[in-house]
Amino acid sequence: MQWPNRLYLRLTRAARRRQLDRDLEDELQFHLDMLSSERPDARKQFGNYSRLKEVCRDMWTLGWIELFLQDVRYGFRTLRRSPSFSAVAIAALALGIGVNTTVFSLVNGVLYKNLPFANSDRILYVSSIDRTKGGPRSMSYPDFQDFRAQMKSFDGLAASSQTSGDISDGIGLPQNYVCAQITANTFSVIGQKPVIGRDFTAEDEMPGAPAVALLTYGLWESRYGKDLSIIGRTIRLNAVPTVVVGVMARGIRFPTESDLWMPLPVPAQPNRAEASVMMFGRLAPGATLMNARAEAETIASRLANQYPDTNKNRGVLVQTYNKMAIRNKIASVFLLMLAAVGFVLLIACANVANLMLARAVVRAREISIRAALGASRWRVIRQLLIESTMLSAAGGVLGWLFAIWGTRAFDLAVIPTGKPAWIDFSLDYRVMLYLAAISIGTGILFGLLPALRLSKLDVSSSLKEGGRGSSGGRQGRYLSGVLVVTEMALAVVLLTGAGLMLRSFLNAYATPVGVNTANILTMRVDLPDVRYSRPEQQAAFYLQLKTRLEQLPGVEVAALASNMPGDGSSNLSSEPETTAPIDPQQRPKGGLLISPEYFRAMQVQLIAGRTFTDADGSTGVPSVIVNQAFANRYWPQQNALGKRLRLVAKTPQPWLTVVGVAPDILQNNEANMVHRDPLIYLPFRQQPRTQMFAAARTHVPPATLGDSFRRAVQEIDQDLPARDLMTLQSRIEMRSWILGVFGSMFAIFGGIAFLLASVGLYAVIAHSVSQRTQEIGVRLAMGAKARDVLRMIFTQGMRQLTIGLAIGLLAALAVTRALNDLLVGVSPSDPATYVMVALALVTAGALGCAIPARRAVRVDPAITLRHE
Amino acid sequence: MGKAKDRTDGELVQGTLDMLILKTLSRKAQHGYGIAQHIQQVSDEILRVEEGSLYPALHRLELDGMIASEWGVSENNRRAKYYSLTTAGRKQLVKESEDWTRLAGAIARVMQTA
Repeated sequence: MQWPNRLYLRLTRAARRRQLDRDLEDELQFHLDMLSSERPDARKQFGNYSRLKEVCRDMWTLGWIELFLQDVRYGFRTLRRSPSFSAVAIAALALGIGVNTTVFSLVNGVLYKNLPFANSDRILYVSSIDRTKGGPRSMSYPDFQDFRAQMKSFDGLAASSQTSGDISDGIGLPQNYVCAQITANTFSVIGQKPVIGRDFTAEDEMPGAPAVALLTYGLWESRYGKDLSIIGRTIRLNAVPTVVVGVMARGIRFPTESDLWMPLPVPAQPNRAEASVMMFGRLAPGATLMNARAEAETIASRLANQYPDTNKNRGVLVQTYNKMAIRNKIASVFLLMLAAVGFVLLIACANVANLMLARAVVRAREISIRAALGASRWRVIRQLLIESTMLSAAGGVLGWLFAIWGTRAFDLAVIPTGKPAWIDFSLDYRVMLYLAAISIGTGILFGLLPALRLSKLDVSSSLKEGGRGSSGGRQGRYLSGVLVVTEMALAVVLLTGAGLMLRSFLNAYATPVGVNTANILTMRVDLPDVRYSRPEQQAAFYLQLKTRLEQLPGVEVAALASNMPGDGSSNLSSEPETTAPIDPQQRPKGGLLISPEYFRAMQVQLIAGRTFTDADGSTGVPSVIVNQAFANRYWPQQNALGKRLRLVAKTPQPWLTVVGVAPDILQNNEANMVHRDPLIYLPFRQQPRTQMFAAARTHVPPATLGDSFRRAVQEIDQDLPARDLMTLQSRIEMRSWILGVFGSMFAIFGGIAFLLASVGLYAVIAHSVSQRTQEIGVRLAMGAKARDVLRMIFTQGMRQLTIGLAIGLLAALAVTRALNDLLVGVSPSDPATYVMVALALVTAGALGCAIPARRAVRVDPAITLRHE
Repeated sequence: MGKAKDRTDGELVQGTLDMLILKTLSRKAQHGYGIAQHIQQVSDEILRVEEGSLYPALHRLELDGMIASEWGVSENNRRAKYYSLTTAGRKQLVKESEDWTRLAGAIARVMQTA
């Protein structure tokens, strides 16, 4: 209780130090004078006067805090006296700490942060898992109702289901938005209220209730210009007149990417077999994740007993949103980055430790004097550690700025890859703690070794030596050699990883698609099942769309396809007619539905046969086109034309005759899959569907036709939006974009590591040359040739470099296996990459030796000898 | 410890000095020398306050907020530092003198009956 008061007094008094000293002096002098006026021997009686003053003074000083401040002041002066050393050290640490903090913020955003609203870590998702197959799945609505009725460890349970919402409202063109259907209690469960209007109510989710919707702040702002009169207005949502009842707070896009919400209707005929909703709830106060898990398990097994037909193998998984949404693969990439920047930081530490060891020579005399004056070993170590921590703290501050910039840059770089909106990379308290921890931690890490060494100095000998050569001893050189070797080895591992990643990106980027991607504009149009239930309606819509696109000025040819190149293929399992029957597992699985103009629009020449005509698919001979991979796999060394295949379905399908063989076109949508699967092409009219792409080759820049494309869709159906409107070129680039982002990240880390390690080697060689100036002078005076001196210096540098390189290459061979999943068309032990890395390092090392060596051979023996 | 012998010479029992200082200051503000003199006179020269204990005790009491200090002018027209009791110090004095009375009474009773 007294403590704060006392600390305050001490702080204020410590600040008025001199005044208080004078006051104490006056006070005691007064006492002494009064005493002497009575007794002449007063001074003697007074006892130890200085001791008394010290006792009083200690009472109002801050003890260790003052000592600490003293050390800090001293450290500051020392560091300022050698500005180039301090600048290099701080720069190295700022880079190391900066990249670490950046990557930690990214990891934090991806692996730890939850949905961006208050207390979102108490929102838990309850998903169903199939005990035989595993993996989280949706729940059936009746199961959700049972959980809602029985769970006690939740304050409320709600459910949602993802759908899509086409808005047409007379404002602009129809557009497609992400829409979530949610139970009416959703926002009260997650603790949110609308900023204007009202929340959903229980009546809204009754079957047959009038259609209502809630908007996100973003949608309200972008589409309606924050017009308050939106509340109560009727818009057409999926062609249904819907009343907007409210707008939610900015940033709320629950569950993740929603633009607007509709009520999730209570099903009129509940079906326990139909898994359709995601379930989530708020943990009750006092309840833990463990409670919730245990309770959910109990309910799940009760349901399994009660409804064995549907629930026999259903387990349950309770987890935070983050755990549910982040897949292991992406998590491992981020952890890999964290490991990589950990290496960078270690290199920076080794570098600064080496600089400090080098400076030990200069400091030895100073430390010896301090020790001789009675400074304890601990005091000396503390002083040196405070100095190194000051360096790392300065590095930390710069690193923090670096991280703010770095996370923003990364954020901008990954937005095109479809980064989920809930992932937020900004620096929060966790990042600040991490930053503080690594700043102080690195200060101690790189300061400890030199501090321990310096504090062990033999006082008398180092004083006598006059501060020369005392730390250039064998042990010191050995230590700095070890540090350089470590730096080199770490840099080699990082550079190898970066090299492999970059080659992967280049491979993926350079993979030929197989079509002419220039000047093609693409879009997708989805037909709502309700209004386009019959295949003829679907076919008619798309054909009409194609005709309209063809008529647009600037369009050369328009075509329809179920998938675009680099964008996956449709599930069209088929069975080729072969001499030996094919194992059902080995059947070709993918295919595309296309209109006859597809190959012409993509400027693809068929290898054999013909493309489809308008007659194909409607009547006549059922025909099919296969790609080369298909022909080679199932009819090797045969003419595929005229061969037959049929689709695999529950009922036997008619045989189709191969009328053409197309070259292989890249369809895989995974960035790291560049192989070409066997594919079939079917006339789109044979199997119309509700989801098709339209693509047109243009002779004007394709991006200029965007609005004409949207209008073409609306002219046929006023409620339908065009989706994913973009050029084929950007579609393809998007595919390898993510590899480019991670490749450049690793390249940046590798580059920094390389720079730090080269500077480290240079600094050590330069220092050792300057220490040996006298020796070199003597050697030259005794008749050594410049060549001999050069060889001497290069031998030292190259020995460390070679050892580091050897260790690094071996370590890289082991470590890069972790990258295997990310690599495209390059093996983790790709010799070319290793050779390049070795060459780069040897070049940098040679340069690092050459500069000091040049200085060494210019030594004038006369001067150095006299210098002694 | 050679101190044991000195205690009979009027060295104060640990902790009682604070109480005596507070008691002395409860009459009026006083400087260090005055406090020492007062204790010595009132106790008929039995209790002697040493400077080596007095000043550290004064500074500690001030840090603890029991007393406050102010520069004033002494009887012989010299600058002197005067200490005075704060409210907290007054409360502390009441508490300590109660404790003391109880303790002294208890000791006296033990000594009489034994």
